[in-house]
Amino acid sequence: MDASNIDLNELWAGQNSDKPVLKDLHNKMDGFKKNYRRKIIRTNLLLVLTSVFIVFIWVYFQPELITTKIGIVLVILAMAMFILSTTKSLELFNKIDETDDTQHYLKKLLAIKEKQLYIQTTILNLYFVLLSLGIGLYMYEYTLLMSTVWAVFAYGLTGLWILLNWFFIRPKQMKKQQQKINDIIDKFKNIQSQLNQE
Amino acid sequence: MAFEEIYNTYWQKIFRLCMGFTNDHDLAQDMAQETFIIVWKQLPKFRNESNIGTWIYRIATNNCLRQIEKQKRFPSAEMPKNITEEKQTNIEPKIQLLYKFISELKETDRIIISLELENINQAEIASIVGISEANTRVKIHRIKEKLTQKFKENGRK
Repeated sequence: MDASNIDLNELWAGQNSDKPVLKDLHNKMDGFKKNYRRKIIRTNLLLVLTSVFIVFIWVYFQPELITTKIGIVLVILAMAMFILSTTKSLELFNKIDETDDTQHYLKKLLAIKEKQLYIQTTILNLYFVLLSLGIGLYMYEYTLLMSTVWAVFAYGLTGLWILLNWFFIRPKQMKKQQQKINDIIDKFKNIQSQLNQE
Repeated sequence: MAFEEIYNTYWQKIFRLCMGFTNDHDLAQDMAQETFIIVWKQLPKFRNESNIGTWIYRIATNNCLRQIEKQKRFPSAEMPKNITEEKQTNIEPKIQLLYKFISELKETDRIIISLELENINQAEIASIVGISEANTRVKIHRIKEKLTQKFKENGRK
């Protein structure tokens, strides 16, 4: 092939693709919207259901001690915070301006990703602390009804479960999430450096 | 400008840009569609003070880069060859080669050369990508050299 007289522009324009009918595109758009709505409803439903369940326990069993009530509130709080932060973190992307030039767009994208990383780490830690505290407080009233041996056993088991969560499950989950975001951040940084090379 | 008019005018151009980026016909088609969905959503916010072409190409370019996040698929260079080629048997081999070579470049180079080959002037390219005109000119020159080199090497094989 003689490379010296290749007309790149002409070759470039030789590539074509059938234009999908506009109706297909509209259908796709509707699909996107429906999906998004469904997703939001699903997360909020989960939150509402859990809260209803916990409130039901409160009303049905009529806890007497304030520790139980605080425990319940902390557990609800932990879950609400977790779900809200996930939604919030997704929403960050809706604010990005897609019509910005690449240089600025990348900068904003990176800022969002770093913020996501921060939210995830902080919220996950907070979630575990609130949940553990909540469960610990919630149990107190019921362990008072048990013999000392059983009470120690119950707290021991719960304590063990919490430690397992804190030292094994939490770091593992965090590492997985962080790695995913960090990979993307690295890729975007690499693209950014491409632009700034002279 | 009405959406339908934009769609008719820009579909092939945007498709080619996505194709240069991925060299994967199906993926490029999806990406082009995504671009137009964003265009459709953003159109009410478009102000006539800027060029509609620049505006659309910015959306398309940013959308291409966002693919990196979604890329669970193989990077284009590692795609099994017969899959990409099968879809384009009706296309001249030289054209296929050009798109293959472009998709092997660095991400931003793919975008810049695609815009250049679409006959967009360099000042506009600079404003789409957000770098200086001088830098754009240098980059285009280097990329074209690289592409010609690739064609030469291919011819010798």
